[in-house]
Amino acid sequence: MRDHHTLSVKLNSVVSSENEFDELVLRSLPEFLDRATAQTKRFLRDTGQWTDDITHEKLALRWGYELVERFLICGRTEVPCRPFFLLDSLIAKSFSQPDPLCYHKELLTPVGRFLDGLASRAVVSRDALMALFYHIYGLGQANVVRLLGFGQAESQRVYKNFERWRQSGWQRTMLETGISDHDLKDLEEQQREHPERLNIEVDRMLRLLQTHYRKSEPEHYPCLTGQKWGQLFNDDFGYDYRVWHLAFCHACFLEVADRRQDELTNTEKPRVNLHIQPLRKGGVMALFGSERGGRTHGTARTQRLSRSTS
Amino acid sequence: MEQQELNDFRDQLLNSLEEQPRRTEEGRPRSLQIFVNHECVGSVDCMKTNSNYSFSSRDRSIHTVELRNEAGVLVGGLCASEAGLKNLRVPIKRGWVDIHIYNRIDGGSVRMRFENNRPWWSRLGARAGMKPFSGAYLLGRQPLVGKTFAYAQILLVISVAALLVDRVPDWFGSESRSSVLEQRLAAQEATHNQVERLQQQVAQLSEVQQTALKEAQFEQQQLAQLSHLFDNVSQAQSKIAAQVVTTQEDLRSVKDSMAQEVENDVQVALTKEEEDRIQVKQELQSVKSVNETLIKQVALLESKNRELHARLTSTAVELAKVAGQQKSIAVARNEQSKDPPSQMQVAEALREADPQAFLFWVSFMDGTSEKSIEDLFHEIKGTKKGPINSGWYPVEVKLPKPEPPDQFLESVKRATIVKAVATSRIMPPAQ
Repeated sequence: MRDHHTLSVKLNSVVSSENEFDELVLRSLPEFLDRATAQTKRFLRDTGQWTDDITHEKLALRWGYELVERFLICGRTEVPCRPFFLLDSLIAKSFSQPDPLCYHKELLTPVGRFLDGLASRAVVSRDALMALFYHIYGLGQANVVRLLGFGQAESQRVYKNFERWRQSGWQRTMLETGISDHDLKDLEEQQREHPERLNIEVDRMLRLLQTHYRKSEPEHYPCLTGQKWGQLFNDDFGYDYRVWHLAFCHACFLEVADRRQDELTNTEKPRVNLHIQPLRKGGVMALFGSERGGRTHGTARTQRLSRSTS
Repeated sequence: MEQQELNDFRDQLLNSLEEQPRRTEEGRPRSLQIFVNHECVGSVDCMKTNSNYSFSSRDRSIHTVELRNEAGVLVGGLCASEAGLKNLRVPIKRGWVDIHIYNRIDGGSVRMRFENNRPWWSRLGARAGMKPFSGAYLLGRQPLVGKTFAYAQILLVISVAALLVDRVPDWFGSESRSSVLEQRLAAQEATHNQVERLQQQVAQLSEVQQTALKEAQFEQQQLAQLSHLFDNVSQAQSKIAAQVVTTQEDLRSVKDSMAQEVENDVQVALTKEEEDRIQVKQELQSVKSVNETLIKQVALLESKNRELHARLTSTAVELAKVAGQQKSIAVARNEQSKDPPSQMQVAEALREADPQAFLFWVSFMDGTSEKSIEDLFHEIKGTKKGPINSGWYPVEVKLPKPEPPDQFLESVKRATIVKAVATSRIMPPAQ
């Protein structure tokens, strides 16, 4: 009790060096996480978006975690400082932005949280950004490269992105989003029983999510007409534009996919086709992976896709 | 159950936070994504020796800058001050990134410089003229000038050393001079052939060089023309800009003068309106005062009327008394004289019954013709009674009984040829 009080006093006092900051922060991570979570809860309550249930509690924890993660990195540059005051100011600055959190009641369902977790990760991670094409539309790495019209160097990068996502990115995203094994099983069961219904639900939520998270993309990436997209691909420029915008804009994705249908290996026109697990490596590897106790990959169709694209 | 799940989730997040420093340091990132105000604005390639990136925002200042690897792990970042400069050096594996933020009132800018802290063999390779390969990569973006290449270099050095050890003793050995001479002659011949070939190549090269020189000169001329064209365009642009500024100023002045004029007009109209209002008010007051005076006069007249009415009543009574007395006297007189009426009384009566004869004088405008005068007489049914005296014509007319002479004379006066009219019975009026 006394130690807790002493720590609290220290966190309100001035920290004068970076080493001291690092040590103090490392010892006080629970305090920082609880403080950030409490402030997030208060923000949700004040804005009429709070309900007393585990989903909201998890949401507050997740957003609190993201705030503390930023504080850990940026706080070192603000020394000398009072850690709690600095965290409070960072949180206040974050919440003072327009629509700081993607909150919607429909996003509190397992499929909503899954999609929200992917999209929020894709905003900061290129691995997740590339993986969005697979999770939402079922496009493997080769098809992503063809769809985006990438050259040799960029395509290698895409393969690396898929690899890292498969190895650690997906797992970490699920953990940090608070999606439990039970939620995943529930989702997979829904997909098995009512795949079309689930895809319709994803299609509806996708617009909501993309509207929120597309704000994160630079302002100079607006929607383009079909002709402009064609020009962009023909003249071979705007690689970042293609990745960012097409991953976060369903309408433009369909426009480009329609134009580049001949490039893709699938003859079927791309449409919303949710994939929960990340794209496994080769078919054999995937079988080994599933035998080793990893999460099963789903349908035979996706396994065939994996073999053809890895 | 739910609380347990929540606690597990919290523990997982705490573990992730604890692992943050380790994750930051693990593995050298191939590229770093740059986030300004939580928006991805670009990336820095960490495979190059030195890589720069700059970003500027015109409409809003820069609050935060974050560096994340492609997996999304936050590698470094800082919060910028409201205004002014802030620098940070973020160490990453085998290198560092220098971040410079400069915030102004109307925006801000970020400059980044990645410096690669390369190993010694890589630097050796670069110094040994391997620059063309320094930017090349193997499949999977492995740098060609890396560990593998360094090992190859070491192997090459060892091989050369072994070869030298093997061959050097032979150079100082006991081989015959003739074979050496033959070898040298053959070598000389081969060298001669090579020199000839080289000379031919040099000649060809010189031709190519000449052609290239001509092309370069032609291109230089084209460039000069282009630069001249650019100068003209820029001058035209500056002129247009100056004209735009002048036009804008003119428009502004016209706008100001128009506004001034409209304001003056409005002011004048308002003043006039105010004056009219005051005048109307004064007129109303005068009308009111006149009205009051009239009311007073009406009241006075009414009182006088009442008084006169009373007097009339009393006078009527008195007249009735007097009439009664006169009636009795007249009755008495009638009884005394019951004679027939005289001739004079008859004539008088006849005269009263006849139309009234009325004599008057009239003078006419200068130049009035006799015919016009006769026409007028005929029109008024008048007859000339005597000679003309000093331009005055004596005229007699028969007026019907009810028509008064004054009204008749007024109608004569209205005739355009009539100059004046007089009614004196004795003498015509003097001219």
